[in-house]
Amino acid sequence: MNAGKIYFEDVDLGDEVGPVERIVTDEQVIEFTQVWGREEGPTRFTSPEKARSEGLPEAIVPGAMNIAIMSQLITAWSPTVRLRKLDVVFRSPVLHNRPLTLRGMITDKGVVDGDPQIECDVTMENEEGTPNVIGKAVVSLPVRE
Amino acid sequence: MFIDLHTHSVSSDDSRATVEQYVKWVGVLRRKRYRIDGFVLTEHRKFDFDKDYSALAAANDVLIMKGSELDTNMGHFLVYGVTEALTSALDFSNVSMDALDLVKAADETGAIALPAHPGRFGIGLCEFADSGADLRSIAAAEGLNGSNRPGEQERAEDLIRRLGVPATGGSDAHLVSAIGKCMTSFENQVLTETDLVRELRSGAFAPVTLDDTI
Amino acid sequence: MTAEDTEIKFNRSLLGVDHEIGSYAVTREMIVKFAHSTGETNPLYLDDDAGRSSEYGSIIAPPTFCNMFVSGVTRPDIELEFGDVSLFAGQAIECVGAVRPGDTLFARTKLKDVYAKTGRSGKMVFQVWETSFANQDGDDVARVQESFVRRSRRPR
Repeated sequence: MNAGKIYFEDVDLGDEVGPVERIVTDEQVIEFTQVWGREEGPTRFTSPEKARSEGLPEAIVPGAMNIAIMSQLITAWSPTVRLRKLDVVFRSPVLHNRPLTLRGMITDKGVVDGDPQIECDVTMENEEGTPNVIGKAVVSLPVRE
Repeated sequence: MFIDLHTHSVSSDDSRATVEQYVKWVGVLRRKRYRIDGFVLTEHRKFDFDKDYSALAAANDVLIMKGSELDTNMGHFLVYGVTEALTSALDFSNVSMDALDLVKAADETGAIALPAHPGRFGIGLCEFADSGADLRSIAAAEGLNGSNRPGEQERAEDLIRRLGVPATGGSDAHLVSAIGKCMTSFENQVLTETDLVRELRSGAFAPVTLDDTI
Repeated sequence: MTAEDTEIKFNRSLLGVDHEIGSYAVTREMIVKFAHSTGETNPLYLDDDAGRSSEYGSIIAPPTFCNMFVSGVTRPDIELEFGDVSLFAGQAIECVGAVRPGDTLFARTKLKDVYAKTGRSGKMVFQVWETSFANQDGDDVARVQESFVRRSRRPR
């Protein structure tokens, strides 16, 4: 991951952001649901049995946690960039303890209402390369002085 | 000619790509020496009569055509050459429409309907092919789909062999950078939706991946 | 609303109607715990010194922090008569302004759409909600559009 300063002039269509590799552990999901504060007792997020009773293959990562992780593709990219909008579709459940790959691809670039912005396709893929989450990010970047 | 026969713009609920962004991305692919002549917007459960992309297409030398992807009782079907006669005959938003009625209505109105991602679990024709339905009216099927998951490609190929029909290719793009991942290579020129239907009925085409175009 | 959608049974009077869904006090602890639990490493969301030296003057909340408050518990029940399993289907979160420790956020939500489609698990019904968050000064900080899908349990 590039943690250096990135400016609007530095990027172009077709440039990649990431990839970032992540694994969401059982412990992290439990911590997240505790921070969330509303999940009491076994849920589809923490209990494989409860998840299976709801037709899911096993316990899943909460959508709100997935989108927070997706946002880190941008927040970890460079201290100069700012996430304006993240718009994602959950295509299949994200499972605990599996390798996940976050990818970004710059697909548009322009100045919107005076704000230099890019758009990126963003995906979260499982170990088979199947996208569990897809979407796009709108990101502001500074121009060089 | 290389045409992506299966794409979704933001007019579909689950896509995040604008048509303008697809056109820009075609430019990116061409600069990388890939060949892509155009694409068909196959929006979910609708046909956008009011959308006119002719100026955008002409300005960028990209063929932009319109079709639909409809939900049926035998999985999703792609429809090309949609006319008002067809949308009057069928409710495109009906997620349980009869697939064979759709194929017949398309035939009668100068359009063509063919199974999308037939190997897909749940919504591919594969799931319904052994129901006893007479599938002889199906003239072609999507053989390459850019959004297939493991196993779905093989299921599609098996079914298409059984049906004995020619296969198309489409990316099923819902994001900008997915367009062109799979396409259909046409032997003859396609410039309009009427041409497209004619060529799809002729069988003079084959599915290709983007890498096949270099 | 399409002809097919009219067959979906739910409380249509809720469509487009604005509802206040509450106010939320934001603490430093909430921000840091949210960031930590999601694996965020950017010091702007975790480290007080980094926050103080930033343009914001303190740590701020990560971009999707408002998700802490929008998971449906205080939304009106649309009385949807379909399926028995609900899942989060998608979300667009627009980050309009910074959320800081000590802020109080006020949220409003409305039902934007209900529609049907078919997917790998059969027929599904989607409901789409739009929620906006403003701080104690009346400044918008986030706009969130969420889709929830209702489907039947899989037969297998």
